[in-house]
Amino acid sequence: MSVLVLRVATALYAIAAGFYLAQFARPVFRRAQVAGAALVGAGFAIHAAAIGLACREFHGAEFFTMRGGFVLLAWLMAGGLLLVEGWRRIPAVGAFATPLILLVLLPALFGAPGRIGGVPTVVQIGLLRLVHIPSAFLGLAFFALASGVALMYLLQEREVKGKHFGPFFTRLPALAALDRLNQRLVRLGFVIFTLAVVTGAAVAKVAWGSFWLWDPHQVVVLLVWILYGTLVQLHHTGWHGRRYALLTMVGFVLMIGSFVFFGALPGLTRHGRDFQ
Amino acid sequence: MSGLEVHLVGLSHRSAPIAVRERVAFTGEALRAALERLKLEDGVAEAMVLSTCNRVEVYVVAESAEPARRFFVDRAAEAAAHLYAHVGREAARHFFRVAASLDSMVLGEPQILGQVKEAYGVASAVQAAGPALSRLCNRAFATAKRVRSETRIAHGAGSVSQVAVELVEKIFGQLQGRSILLVGAGKMGALSAKALAALGADQVLVTNRSPERAEELARRVGGSARPWSSLAELLVQADVVLVSTSAPGYVIDVAQVVQAMKARRQRSLCFIDLAVPRNVEPRCADLPNVFAYDMDDLEKMVRATHDARADEALRAEAIVEAELMAFHRERETRAALPVLARLRRQAEEIASAEVGRTLETLAGRIDERSRRSIEAMARAIVNKLLHGPTARLKEAVASGDRSLPGAAAALFGIETEELGPAVEGGERAPAPGEAIRSEPVPAVVEDRVAALSQGGKG
Repeated sequence: MSVLVLRVATALYAIAAGFYLAQFARPVFRRAQVAGAALVGAGFAIHAAAIGLACREFHGAEFFTMRGGFVLLAWLMAGGLLLVEGWRRIPAVGAFATPLILLVLLPALFGAPGRIGGVPTVVQIGLLRLVHIPSAFLGLAFFALASGVALMYLLQEREVKGKHFGPFFTRLPALAALDRLNQRLVRLGFVIFTLAVVTGAAVAKVAWGSFWLWDPHQVVVLLVWILYGTLVQLHHTGWHGRRYALLTMVGFVLMIGSFVFFGALPGLTRHGRDFQ
Repeated sequence: MSGLEVHLVGLSHRSAPIAVRERVAFTGEALRAALERLKLEDGVAEAMVLSTCNRVEVYVVAESAEPARRFFVDRAAEAAAHLYAHVGREAARHFFRVAASLDSMVLGEPQILGQVKEAYGVASAVQAAGPALSRLCNRAFATAKRVRSETRIAHGAGSVSQVAVELVEKIFGQLQGRSILLVGAGKMGALSAKALAALGADQVLVTNRSPERAEELARRVGGSARPWSSLAELLVQADVVLVSTSAPGYVIDVAQVVQAMKARRQRSLCFIDLAVPRNVEPRCADLPNVFAYDMDDLEKMVRATHDARADEALRAEAIVEAELMAFHRERETRAALPVLARLRRQAEEIASAEVGRTLETLAGRIDERSRRSIEAMARAIVNKLLHGPTARLKEAVASGDRSLPGAAAALFGIETEELGPAVEGGERAPAPGEAIRSEPVPAVVEDRVAALSQGGKG
């Protein structure tokens, strides 16, 4: 049931992406951006219903699988995009964010929902369910959007600086605007991600008996956390531009990559599994 | 039709060299006087003169183009060889294309529409433009607006200073809180500084080897002069640096910029080098967050814009053709206007009088919304009743049938002698006092009555 509802939401995102891309291709269609935002809003609402249904169906166990995690991540990204659209309507952000949302959602549509072997006992830890997982994915969602904006920055910088005034030059917003948006998203993501790291350590203490065990997942998270923390700090020293955008993307790719990698090779990390 | 047509005679950058254009061009008072004279000529019903640095065109509503042609030849005999002339539909097409900037030297340039509007304004002011030219102009303005919003013909930067503005905009967005530095007294530099200041820069700093020139230049661009010796500090302060000195070598080199970037804490810095030979060391562009452009880059961009606009021109031409077709269809159906206008006016007068009476008796007992719905209902009844007859009358006129309008006039008790010949009826400029009534007639109805009651007086 929840998968069906999720497919409806995905279809809405796909149409939204179509509108955003149409507006990107022909900036004259200003209304397409409004339509895109409205469709993302509708998709977001239906997506929320799908997540609620899935919680009823699988008792929250879904979010312990990579599939469920991606479903949640995509939902939060859609929410983040709506936030950015309401914040300051920067053209072309939707054209980059919606395909990214679809990319995250796509594997979730075909994976088997739920979890074989029942609900892990650690789900009992309220902290894990209520704080750690939501904040981890919300932080990640902001990093994802920041990476989209960073990609826009890199494309635009290449045209502006390289004096090669191609199709992106006229369509993408000013470098300063992209830079600012990227830094804001990174800062926001970092604050929320920090919450996930702290609660994650607490959960590790309860479930594994220690805050820090050199678990590969813990190591990657710490690296990503340090990376984004450094970016937030560097911003105050005036650091910005191309390298900032690149590092924003590196952090996100590292985090998502580790999820996929550890998901494909079970046994490497105890994170997200039955910890007992 | 009584043989009156729109005739256009003119010359432009395409047909005549500047030596000829400047002899026939004129502005201000001279233009008014010339229009007055033209209007008085035999057989000229309406006239308008469009005079810009790239074209001089005379539009007359007359039986022949002769008065317009004489207008040129009287001023300069050699103009005769460079004139082009169009009539009717072709004249309208030419005018639409001119207004939409499809005939401009720089395709899509924004000034021409303003100039056309001004020409029409002057012609209206001296009462040389009548209903036919009014309709032509309004349609041309609408066409130009469509072309502008539906194609990318006005997109991009068409000149070097526009390119500079566009580049800076793509780097910094708006320039609030930022400063512009102008180095050197080159003409392009001053021009671009002014264009950039319009982006909202906090201040324009000016420096030059000679302090007097700096002061003078600062006055001209509305900035403040700084001594040449403080260039290093200025590079820290400014965000956009326009360089156009006549120095034979680099005025700003990489070492200086590296130094400045450190002091700026890596805030982006943009150089626009308008000097040939170049004044900014090209390698500066390799530094992170430093953007540097030279004259070649800017000109390359201008050319790219022109190429892109040429592609868009095809789409723009299609819009012009569509508007032209609509314009002519309207003109043809307008031939049926006299009878229709009387018919409609009669119906609307009755409706508005009845509405007024009803509202008077209901005064105070109904609210604004009910009042408006009563008015809307009356309008709707008039429209629905007249819709069929209107359509059939238009059809009849379009197919050359003149008996139906007469029959309609007789049937509805419209006096035929008032109808006049079926020529261009006025739509704009209602006669003063024509539509003043005591009842609260809805504005829409009032406008339409005023507009249509002018029909048949051409």
